[in-house]
Amino acid sequence: MKQHRKNRIYVILFIGISILISFFLVFSALQENINLFYSPTDLQNNPPMSDKSIRAGGLVKENSLLRNKDSLKINFEITDLKNTVSVTYEGLLPDLFKENKGVVATGYFYASTNEFVAYEILAKHDENYVPKEVKKALE
Amino acid sequence: MIPEIGNVFLIFAFSISVLSFLSANYSYYADTKIYDLSKNIFLVFFLLLASFLILEFSFLTDDFSVLYVANNSNPNLPAYYKFSALWGGHEGSLLLFVLIISIWMMVFSLLSSYTKIEDKNLVLSFCYLVLLSLLGFIIFSSNPFERLIPIASMSGTDLNPLLQDFAFTIHPPILYFGYAGLVIPFSLALARCFNVKEGWTMHIRNWTVLSWSFLTLGIALGSWWAYYELGWGGWWFWDPVENSSLVPWLLATALFHSAVVSNSRKIFNNWTILLSILSIIGCFIGMFLVRSGILTSVHSFALDPERGLILLLITLMITLYSFFIFFKSDVSDNNSINYSIVSKEYFLLINNLFLVVLAVIILFGTVYPIFYEIFSGGKTISVGAPYFNLVTVPIAFFLAFFQGYGVLTKWSASPNSIRTFSITLIVIIFISLTFSYLVFNYLSLFNVIGIIMVSSIIGGVIISALRTIDNKKLFFSALGMNFAHIGIAVTIFGIGVVSSHSSSKEVILEIGESTTLSNYEFTLIAEDFKEESNFYSQIAIFQVENQNNGKTFDLKPEKAFYPSSRSIMTESAIAITPKEDVYISLSERLDSGEWIAKIQTKPFVRFIWLGAILMCLGGIFSFSRRLLFR
Repeated sequence: MKQHRKNRIYVILFIGISILISFFLVFSALQENINLFYSPTDLQNNPPMSDKSIRAGGLVKENSLLRNKDSLKINFEITDLKNTVSVTYEGLLPDLFKENKGVVATGYFYASTNEFVAYEILAKHDENYVPKEVKKALE
Repeated sequence: MIPEIGNVFLIFAFSISVLSFLSANYSYYADTKIYDLSKNIFLVFFLLLASFLILEFSFLTDDFSVLYVANNSNPNLPAYYKFSALWGGHEGSLLLFVLIISIWMMVFSLLSSYTKIEDKNLVLSFCYLVLLSLLGFIIFSSNPFERLIPIASMSGTDLNPLLQDFAFTIHPPILYFGYAGLVIPFSLALARCFNVKEGWTMHIRNWTVLSWSFLTLGIALGSWWAYYELGWGGWWFWDPVENSSLVPWLLATALFHSAVVSNSRKIFNNWTILLSILSIIGCFIGMFLVRSGILTSVHSFALDPERGLILLLITLMITLYSFFIFFKSDVSDNNSINYSIVSKEYFLLINNLFLVVLAVIILFGTVYPIFYEIFSGGKTISVGAPYFNLVTVPIAFFLAFFQGYGVLTKWSASPNSIRTFSITLIVIIFISLTFSYLVFNYLSLFNVIGIIMVSSIIGGVIISALRTIDNKKLFFSALGMNFAHIGIAVTIFGIGVVSSHSSSKEVILEIGESTTLSNYEFTLIAEDFKEESNFYSQIAIFQVENQNNGKTFDLKPEKAFYPSSRSIMTESAIAITPKEDVYISLSERLDSGEWIAKIQTKPFVRFIWLGAILMCLGGIFSFSRRLLFR
């Protein structure tokens, strides 16, 4: 076989293999790292598995924010004006976290106790901005 | 009255762009001579500059009858921020963007000479196409000069407090210089499809390198800004907005490497053209994602779904137009070129393949939620940062790994260099493993990966510099490239260390109480209060003692309140030591008088941006050297 033809086959093999590997990478990474969005009503109607990380969002219910003494544990409720879900979170709250304002939390839902354990509360840059999932949840 | 003049200037600039584009195309197809189009660009530039200055004037004089000013400024804003508030929203930032495109066109037409005026006209006409579509968009649907009559308030809303910051005055313009500069290679590539061959690969390489330098610096500035201004010490969030700047950056990086091959070997020509087109499309897709609000992003400064639709149409139009030209064209390679598997051609092919794959999977992860929502009947998802880390790190590893050896290869090298290649590979891996074991006393995959990447790049640069040290001309011609490559190694080093050796702690402290983190002791010693023209803030004063050498310093993080927009801002306090950053941000003050704070140490985090500065300097050096000594 001529040298440059051999090279061309190497090139094609190489490209093919790397594209296959990246496809594999992408899909295995996607499987584990997408977070479905649930409104409190969704959580009520078809709760997700408790080992699956999800996002929950709505408004922070008025007068629901409770702070634990001497720790960073926080309890509050998320509402879509039809249902509510109580959230526990340990950590710092973003500046734009306010009662009666939109919030999106990432974490795990335990259907037996109707409790959402969040590990991340989404921070936004603009107080006029409502995440579009929250907007939809409130409709 | 004055804003209306600005509007008229915009319309003039638009009309001239339309005429220039049409006349250049007419003269090409009808084969008639027309005057030099590059003269128009001065006029367009001055018109756009004038309307930019008029809008600036409205901002500085608090003309709240202009809707855009009313939405983005406030009388109490310091004059300095009133100036930069112009690009704090959608309309104004777009005006800045077209102004910068016209600057690139002007500089390009001043610095490049063509023997045939028709060729230059054709190149410029494609720049005009991009310019006119954006100008049309501004005039018909995003007009910054739109009036608000009757005037709703004399106070205006406000510039988002996050944007009231030094980094915001320079980050968008520099980033826009990066994006807008990609218009030049795009036009050169389309002109090549019409047989404008004169120096096209050289031009594409040089102009891409220059705009890439700005893009690098702009992205790094954004990262630095997020680091200290968002308040929580992260420097990259895999947010859609960040991703949509990274995708064009990766494509542009691939583009000028491919243009190097096209320039020296007359192969990869079609690939270079395709990449030039893809880079600009990447910019437009990014602009669409950022400005349409289709994705939930932490950045939400300029959102409007209807405008998003128009932007999507413009993106589609430019994509279809350029692909139509590309597929109709007949550009061929030099078929007599042979290259072996360890040649420079082959390594640059690997570089291009990996860069493009990286760009595609980042874009895929970014837009996946949109398609998921469409095909699942309205279920919304988000793709988490772990996805991006998982897919980018392996590919970045191979990129860096091959980069080190790639710079040492020669054009069309013979097959017997395979042996040298394998030996080098083994040596690099061996040295890295030993080094990792000696420094960290254990072997962790993450450390080894990082060290292999860094040592491979730096090793390659040093060996190639030593090889050419006797030959001044060769040495200097590679200097820019070597600088940029070292910059990449420095950035990777910073990323590696800060990702694996940071420490952080969230604490509740009352005055007089202390806590330790790493080798520092933090004591909350006092509280303070200050009032500025447009905000006031509570300050907590921490005394930090370095327990290794007994030195102490104060850190004063703030919690600022902006009455006009009723928003709260976390102003972190950062102490920069040679080794690491000590970072404190305040969360909130409890009724009991205690402060909730987050304290962190970030070793070598500055290397991330230092590396980007080296890349940028390398790029600018390389561009100016080629310009001066061609």
